[in-house]
Amino acid sequence: MTPENEGFLDGALLNPSSKKGNDLHLKQEQRYKVSIKNLDAWFGTKQALKNINLDIKPNAATAIIGPSGCGKTTLIRCLNRMHEMTPGATAKGHIIIDGDIDIYHKSVDPVIIKRRIGMVFQKPNPFPTMSIYDNVSAGLKLNGVKDKRLIKDVVKESLEGAALWDEVKDELDKPGIGLSGGQQQRLCIARALAMQPEVLLMDEPTSALDPIASSKIEELVHVLKKELTIITVTHNMLQAARVSDYTAFMYLGELIEYGPTSQIFKTPQKELTERYISGKFG
Amino acid sequence: MTRLLDLGIDRISNVIMDMAKISENSVFAAIESYQESTHIKKQIFDWSEKLRVLQEEVSDLAIELIARYQPVASDLRFIKSCMEISYGFSRFGRYSYDIVDLLETMGSISDCDKSAVLEMAKTVRGMILLSLQALQSRDKSAGEKLYQMDDTVDTLYRKYLRDIITPSQEQQNEKRLTDSNNNNPRCYISALLILRYLERISDHACYIGDSVHYVVTGVSSPRR
Amino acid sequence: MHENEQISGNRRKIQDIMLRHSSKRRLMDKIVSALAVVGVLAAIIPLGSILLEVIKNGASAITIELVTQPPGAMGSATSGGIAPAIQGTLIVIGLATLIGAPVGILTGIFLSEFAPGNGLFPSAVRLFSDVLTGLPSVVIGIVGYLTIVLTTGSFSVLAGAFSLSIIMIPIVVRITEETLKIVPNSIREAGQSLGIAKWKITLFIVLKSAKSGVITGIVLAISRIAGETAPLIMTILGTSLFFSSFTNPVDALPLRIWRLASQPYDSAHSQGWGAALILIIVVMILSMALRLLTQRKGFKVKASHV
Repeated sequence: MTPENEGFLDGALLNPSSKKGNDLHLKQEQRYKVSIKNLDAWFGTKQALKNINLDIKPNAATAIIGPSGCGKTTLIRCLNRMHEMTPGATAKGHIIIDGDIDIYHKSVDPVIIKRRIGMVFQKPNPFPTMSIYDNVSAGLKLNGVKDKRLIKDVVKESLEGAALWDEVKDELDKPGIGLSGGQQQRLCIARALAMQPEVLLMDEPTSALDPIASSKIEELVHVLKKELTIITVTHNMLQAARVSDYTAFMYLGELIEYGPTSQIFKTPQKELTERYISGKFG
Repeated sequence: MTRLLDLGIDRISNVIMDMAKISENSVFAAIESYQESTHIKKQIFDWSEKLRVLQEEVSDLAIELIARYQPVASDLRFIKSCMEISYGFSRFGRYSYDIVDLLETMGSISDCDKSAVLEMAKTVRGMILLSLQALQSRDKSAGEKLYQMDDTVDTLYRKYLRDIITPSQEQQNEKRLTDSNNNNPRCYISALLILRYLERISDHACYIGDSVHYVVTGVSSPRR
Repeated sequence: MHENEQISGNRRKIQDIMLRHSSKRRLMDKIVSALAVVGVLAAIIPLGSILLEVIKNGASAITIELVTQPPGAMGSATSGGIAPAIQGTLIVIGLATLIGAPVGILTGIFLSEFAPGNGLFPSAVRLFSDVLTGLPSVVIGIVGYLTIVLTTGSFSVLAGAFSLSIIMIPIVVRITEETLKIVPNSIREAGQSLGIAKWKITLFIVLKSAKSGVITGIVLAISRIAGETAPLIMTILGTSLFFSSFTNPVDALPLRIWRLASQPYDSAHSQGWGAALILIIVVMILSMALRLLTQRKGFKVKASHV
């Protein structure tokens, strides 16, 4: 679908204005924020993802569901190239952002990708030695941003975006780990937002939280998706049903079904999907 | 392993099946009452009341299952359909009651020409049986057949209506119609009203077929 | 019915057994607690008695003179002091730490962050480090003698610091590696997900979290080397003079204590006790100072409890 070196200026950068025959194809891909094509991933010799093809729409929340071991976490860790940071882990395929850059192309620096695609983890992991302020600004400072005023503005903006500002605005010096679990998770979201990402990946963001904290995060996703593209992995199907606009169901490393959430939960097309979401297995 | 939801679904299915049985009996008894002039108003009244109670039970159960177990996909479609179908059955009971109530009001109609009603009743009986069978076996293609039968019911109804308003030359020659029915408004009023009730019953049988189709495929059939 | 009876029969059997054992268990609890207390005492009493001896015998010898004057002639009335030894100890320990701590920390970082697996090279490094810890300090002294004293032609501070740093490095390496390993991987992943370069993550995030552990490691190493005598004999030689240059011999407390103790005079012995007490105090002050200096922030770094 996007063959590697067919007359591109640069293998990774597809410049639509200079393309001729492939314009239509590219326009289609620009409708999608993230376009995953023929993605395979391995842990050593064990294949964890098998030929995944998935197009993620922008400004929407997409949920990836499936039983344990289906590869959903592996998939999102491929999206920001964190998969290969595990020793022995490899991946092959194309992941195209904005119809523009294939992040799996050999000329792309994986570290740079992570600044466009942020991630929030299952267990909140604020930096333990840093205050709330330092936590949110860590990504900026350690990536060379020195303008103190700019950092201050971004910290406020990010904490507001994570619905945490009002609760901590007078305690920015307090240690990050002194917050409650739900607040810590929102702190991590603020920290990720400070990098001004376009895509936010969330790996089971509420599974370590109590129901009230969880619902706050769900409401947050609802607001954030207006500005960002959100992709969340969850083993809680009902959360996927509540929070997402599109749902992808994976099983044993393959993508079984993908569609609008209301359709998947009212009339799934594949029997495997139906059985999983009805709780008949997994 | 049985899901918790399955226990609830079994319960709701059982109530639906009970309603099916009672409403079937109700309609057939009403038709027989017309045919044989038996007096079974009380029995049918009881059945109708029972159906109303069971319909509420189905409704409550459905809400409880949704609140507690958050069903999805075919389970959810099934529960939605149960609510619709239970309404259909309660309607069967209601129309049966209306028929025997009418007969009581009308008094004696033993001399009337009952052929039209009985002809339609035959088709409607078939439709009821077919719809119940479709419900039990989750037959999604029954809807098609039911609509065909509904068409014949509609045709019969319109034909009868036209006939009594403007009887054809042929019928004017046939003494039977002019003598008994023209002189006895009971006959054609009761027949007309009962035909109307039967026609409504047949519509609801079609709706039951639609619901079954929806449960199986997730696609609602357009109501004709 | 029969199955139910069997189940309740089993239940009763189990409850009976557990009831009978509860009194035994309580007795065992008491015995084990008593043994634990005995163990603690066995550990503390010898340590405590040594400390008491040193304080008892040394406290009286501590005078301004002791602390500020160089040693006088042996056996003379003006016994002098051990000031050069105090100075020498501080200098040699300081220099050894300047050499040993960075090397140890960097190696520890390497082993924990950049080669945590069982590759050939890291395993060799770890093995080597473990072997070094077990090396008798006298051997290390000989090494220092051969490599520096013989080549430069004189006993010197450098030789002493070098030898002590060899003792120090494996301790720091081990402790640094272990403390860094304790830092949860989720912290590193958080840093990675922000697109921060690996060396920055290691230095500014991981190391910072492990800071108190690493400092403890260095303090432990310092306490160890402060008391080493054998390597110093062969490298700094010891002298009655104050520090002159890095390439000249210098005195140190362990050496001085040994020299004083081997003299037949009571005055020397009492000075020796004083020196011992001072050595203990010096190490204590050094550790506290190091801790205070590196914990400016005021809130302790503990593993987060979610």
